[in-house]
Amino acid sequence: MAKVIYDHVYKRWGDVVAVRDLNIEIDDNEFLVFVGPSGCGKSTSLRMLAGLEEVSEGRIIIGDRVVNNVAPKDRDIAMVFQSYALYPHMTVYDNMAFALRLRKTPKQVIDQKVREAAKSLGIEQLLDRRPRQLSGGQRQRVAVGRAIVRDPAVFLMDEPLSNLDAKLRVEARTFISKLHQRLQTTFIYVTHDQVEAMTMGTRIAVLNAGMLQQVDTPTNLYMHPANQFVAGFIGSPSMNFFDAALIEDGDQLLVDIGIAQLPVPSDRVERYRPHVGQKVTFGLRPENIHYHAYQPADIIGAPVEAEVDIIELMGNEKVVYLKRDNVEYIARVDPRSDVHVGLSTQTVFDLSNMHLFDAKTGQTL
Amino acid sequence: MTTTVSSLPPNIREETAYGRYVLNGFRYGFLFIVTFIMLAPVLLAFLGAIRTSSEFQARPFDIPRRGIQWHNFTEILEDSNFWLMFKNSLYITIGATVLTVLVSSLLGYIFARVEFRGRGLLFNVVTLGLLFPFVIAILPIFIQIRKLGLLNSYWGVILPLVAFSIPGSTLILRGFFRAIPYELEEAAYIDGCTVFGFFYRILLPMARPAVTAIAVLQAIAAWNDYFLALLILTDESKWTLPLGLMQFQGQYGTTNWSGIMAYVTILMIPAILFYMVTERYIVTGLTGGELKG
Repeated sequence: MAKVIYDHVYKRWGDVVAVRDLNIEIDDNEFLVFVGPSGCGKSTSLRMLAGLEEVSEGRIIIGDRVVNNVAPKDRDIAMVFQSYALYPHMTVYDNMAFALRLRKTPKQVIDQKVREAAKSLGIEQLLDRRPRQLSGGQRQRVAVGRAIVRDPAVFLMDEPLSNLDAKLRVEARTFISKLHQRLQTTFIYVTHDQVEAMTMGTRIAVLNAGMLQQVDTPTNLYMHPANQFVAGFIGSPSMNFFDAALIEDGDQLLVDIGIAQLPVPSDRVERYRPHVGQKVTFGLRPENIHYHAYQPADIIGAPVEAEVDIIELMGNEKVVYLKRDNVEYIARVDPRSDVHVGLSTQTVFDLSNMHLFDAKTGQTL
Repeated sequence: MTTTVSSLPPNIREETAYGRYVLNGFRYGFLFIVTFIMLAPVLLAFLGAIRTSSEFQARPFDIPRRGIQWHNFTEILEDSNFWLMFKNSLYITIGATVLTVLVSSLLGYIFARVEFRGRGLLFNVVTLGLLFPFVIAILPIFIQIRKLGLLNSYWGVILPLVAFSIPGSTLILRGFFRAIPYELEEAAYIDGCTVFGFFYRILLPMARPAVTAIAVLQAIAAWNDYFLALLILTDESKWTLPLGLMQFQGQYGTTNWSGIMAYVTILMIPAILFYMVTERYIVTGLTGGELKG
């Protein structure tokens, strides 16, 4: 159990800045997820914390210690790798016992810890096997087991689910969440998968191009993204964006998205008024666009007409790709919606959930 | 609803396996010939050793018709000189093998996984040694060994043997070490390994086939070495078995062929046994490394 602080941390490779001024305070027992597209610096941030990469500038603090110059083995951390990195020439038992043996832990203690961890992970019957005799899911558990036996202050996980198939991944997600609840330890988790981030993290740090975009709870990240990047990255299918302009119409404000003029809800008029005349980006999530016949009662709806391009039936909903005058957007509508490819249909935009971004900076207005 | 085959098309052609039989025949024939060429000298030595000299001279490839001549072997094995030379050969073989494994595994590790300026160039210099068989360098070796005061010592034979096997051994081990994923190294560091700890707890055990291959090849080379021993070891009490064979041949000339063949057979046995026991490691050890990368 320990607090982790990234204090103005930079990582440079020659002229390339992989991580730029990273500033996060991660609380005791928190499950923080670093998420972002590949090359955003999330793995580098984790690896700096693990001591596998040097920090170019700034400080990393674990507990009450600056660890910049502390060897990985002395940082009181454990890491689960994407490839699991199990030692192939050792049995599962030896893999799990390895770190403890290097620390000269008494044999009985090692045995007790390994067996306890194996039991809690349901891998007791595998202790005598070699990694190559295990399935992907089993290997993943062994890798977690190897981390658990050390009772680390901080658990680091670098895309530990990426090598699992879709079904196992869902199982492993809940398994890791439960593990976090049980162990009550700080978890820092790296993934490019926003679903993993949303479902597991108590807080999520979104990174892009080496810069921290936003750190917040999953709900806040989803409901109140700090900028257009976060808005587009979190949620699947991602948020629809429309080039737009804000125009004044008496007391009202309208967002002109080219194919329609949408009235800004009255509680936001004052917030947006200073940006009238400015170029903006209008954002609306697919689930906030409804088929006219099945729109919820409590929304602030505005009708928009468009032609259906593609329909994906998911069972519980239809994902509809729509198009009009070079403007494209996606709607997640009720599965009963009577939509047909090639035909014009009326959708309803729920403006109570609209987002506006500065077209130049991408910042939320 | 599942569909089933309702009717086959009318003109289905099916190829016969005739061509394959002929091809297989050629393959086996070729392999048989090559195997025979390889084994003929071994067989010849063995057949000479278990028969009398006159039998051997009359028909080199023949079965023993006057009973198996065990005394050919016992006469050699009862000679105390033989056991002295056996001991000398053993010392040199063990010394050269252990040292080769030690040096080339460390070198392989450095060239595979430690980043430093000039690594590629240095590695090229090391592998350049592959181009020179030691027969070419025999005079400089002799002078150097004399300068070091190692003439007539085991080390005088061991050191050149090691030096000339380092390029090949390092090349093989480097390939193996490179193929071992970096995440394993990082996991080992987090688990508490030092750089050297990672080398001998993770890397060496994982590269066991390659290490075994190198050890076996070097052991066989050292055991069979004749030229270097002849050059360096002038004192008869330091002689190795190949020199003993030369002495034996000089003693009996062409009169005791079966004795010479028995000597040769005895000399070959350890190498052949050693190879047979470790054969599967040698094959993966020499081919596995780079392929995995």
